[in-house]
Amino acid sequence: MKGRPNDSLAAAGFLLPNILGFLVFTAGPLVFSLAVSFTNWNLQRTIPFRVSGPENYNELLHDKQFWLFFINTVYLMLGMPLCIAGSLLLAVLLNQRLRGMVAYRTLFYLPSFTSGVALMILWKALYNPDFGPINALLDWCLQALRLNDLLQGLGFHALAPPQWLPSTDNLLGLVPQEIRISGSKFGLGAREALIIMGVWIAIGGNNMLLYLAALTNVPQELVEAAQIDGAGRWKVFRHVTWPQLAPTTFFIVVMSFIGSLQGGFDQARVMTNGGPSGTTTTLAYYIYTKAFEEFQIGYASAVAWVLFTVIFAITLLNWKFGQKELSY
Amino acid sequence: MKWLFGGSFVVLLLLSCAAWSIRPVPEAAGKIPLLWVSDDNPARREQIGLFNALNPQYELRLDPNNQGMEKVIVQSIAGVGPDLFDCYDGFQLSAYARSGIAWDITDKLKESIDFEKDVWPAVFPNFVLDGRAYGFPTNVCANAIWFNKDIFEANGIPYPAGPWTWDEFLKVAQKLTVREGRRVKRFGLLNDWWNWRQFVIQWGGEVYSRDGTRCILDSPEAIAGIQFLHDLMYKYKVMPTPAEEAAMATTGGWGSGTITVFADGKGAMALGGRWWLCTLRTVQQNKKEKAERLRLGAVECPHGPYRVFRGYGRATLVNKNSPRREEALQFTRYEAGEPYNALINHQADALAPVKPYSYTPGYLHDPAFPEEDFNAVWRDVMQYAVPDHDSPFINGQAASRILDRQLDLVKSDEKPVADALRAAAQELNEEIQKTLQRDPELRVRYEALAGKKR
Repeated sequence: MKGRPNDSLAAAGFLLPNILGFLVFTAGPLVFSLAVSFTNWNLQRTIPFRVSGPENYNELLHDKQFWLFFINTVYLMLGMPLCIAGSLLLAVLLNQRLRGMVAYRTLFYLPSFTSGVALMILWKALYNPDFGPINALLDWCLQALRLNDLLQGLGFHALAPPQWLPSTDNLLGLVPQEIRISGSKFGLGAREALIIMGVWIAIGGNNMLLYLAALTNVPQELVEAAQIDGAGRWKVFRHVTWPQLAPTTFFIVVMSFIGSLQGGFDQARVMTNGGPSGTTTTLAYYIYTKAFEEFQIGYASAVAWVLFTVIFAITLLNWKFGQKELSY
Repeated sequence: MKWLFGGSFVVLLLLSCAAWSIRPVPEAAGKIPLLWVSDDNPARREQIGLFNALNPQYELRLDPNNQGMEKVIVQSIAGVGPDLFDCYDGFQLSAYARSGIAWDITDKLKESIDFEKDVWPAVFPNFVLDGRAYGFPTNVCANAIWFNKDIFEANGIPYPAGPWTWDEFLKVAQKLTVREGRRVKRFGLLNDWWNWRQFVIQWGGEVYSRDGTRCILDSPEAIAGIQFLHDLMYKYKVMPTPAEEAAMATTGGWGSGTITVFADGKGAMALGGRWWLCTLRTVQQNKKEKAERLRLGAVECPHGPYRVFRGYGRATLVNKNSPRREEALQFTRYEAGEPYNALINHQADALAPVKPYSYTPGYLHDPAFPEEDFNAVWRDVMQYAVPDHDSPFINGQAASRILDRQLDLVKSDEKPVADALRAAAQELNEEIQKTLQRDPELRVRYEALAGKKR
């Protein structure tokens, strides 16, 4: 179909502001940062500007901190499956036809339109090791179940609630500032605190909305046919609903990977300052500190582009293998 | 559709007109506007008010939202920076100067004050670099020990008197630490971890060698100093561990953190500066209204093998790229003058930067606060105060991150002090070498110094 010249002009006119904005504020800086990553650009004027070629990338490969923070970034992604599964479960629950469901949906979506900084300050108080409600509850559980008496009776050490944000303990036993594992570091610490908070925020967020929308689009005739064939609620979900949700799940997985790899900045800035001992510093926070605190714009750009490459590669893998699951 | 777009356009146009009509008035007519990036608190506003009152041709305003070295540098390079901004240490001054935004005002400053003679030396690194002045100090401080008179009296312990050693201090602190089961009800000492450098220098150590070419934090002296700090928490248990600190809900910043914990009576003594008084006076006032009280005393900080204290402060620098830099100079003159220095001493925003103003009867006995009988302490500890000695061959932020990563492990008792400091020294020395590779100007200076040593 061929439009009139006036229509094309009008279309171009309407598109132009957006395209201009994209070129100036997104595409331009993107290309600029790629170019900068091959230079030694530093905000300190005593360092003469020069094109350094792949020097930043080479330095980055030997930068122990980069790898430690990369591990932190991947570690903090451990909460992703919980976020997705939790969102699905919540969406299924909120998809029931019950009175007041709109209010419930709004309540669960509340964290998504609450200020992130306010939430983080709230969680910081919740994680207070002595007076925070989380440890108060854990303490109460330990006493009510007499777990420590039992453990000590068996010759084990007594359990104590975790220290959360000031602690470098973690579930994999990663040793801070080293790339190795030790049993003595096993426990719950700052990383887990951030993961739990992230899961709480994400469960009722946009993923839940996407699943809710997808659930309302599951053809009722398929559900009814399965029920007529004698399928129970679980089998209907497993063999009808879940496959129908596959495109949504695929989209959520891809976006979650991208978001998680880029994440961790707010939490580090507001809650932990990247500590203790760098255990909550992610690549996003590292980019910020290198660029704006140490003024190494070239090096920070190189880190950003390596992060982009990792995200791009994972997204491609997701497309390649995820699409096989979309053959419904 | 065209009505929708047309209507939206008209609405946006009307909103723009409304916004334009209610835009903030930039400055009072005929006045020269000056912008100062600093933190916002009642003392600061009073300091600005006095400047504006004394200099009616200027309109100095505070911008607390653009604090942070990175923001100041990026904005100033882009030409939209403030006229005046704060500088907290030697590294920041070096970064501002090397970024080309700190203005060398040495000769102009000397017209109004002989700063080399009259300013406390402990604050020199904040505004003097390689013999050139880039601003003027706002205030200066060395920490002493605050103590709660009521707690001492209730326990029948006489008020401490300086000079005293950490061993003497420990005996008192242990008597005043109160435990209830697993929790500590009151600590003998409250101390912000950032005071760790004081312990290093008191044991004869340094973070960097005198010429700054090498980190020497792995020296036996530095290790001994930090070990003592560690022992205060884990061996003598008179000072809160990080977990206990978190449990006391410290949040840091102006008017909070360790200061409020101390004011709440959760610490018998605390290592802090005179500037704590800004908050403590408010607490005293609030308590008075509730028929309660907080009686304060101050005594010289205990010393280790050496009787030295870490001096620190803040300076205001003039933005070289500001179109109003000549006018901004008036503020540094104001900081060097009597009204400002008297105000700082009266507010207790640390100590006035110009020495002679702390040797007046008005400073010793402020009629507005007759119960404050400890003002001589702050002046006396300044005699023994030394500034932080940093290396010009390493980015201060990078250095502080390396130090924090290792000291965090010491603080949480996860790594032996010696191991952590050796690791920190090694990383810092590697970072120095990396910096030299990046910066040819620094490399020349470094090689000249290293050559001298050879």
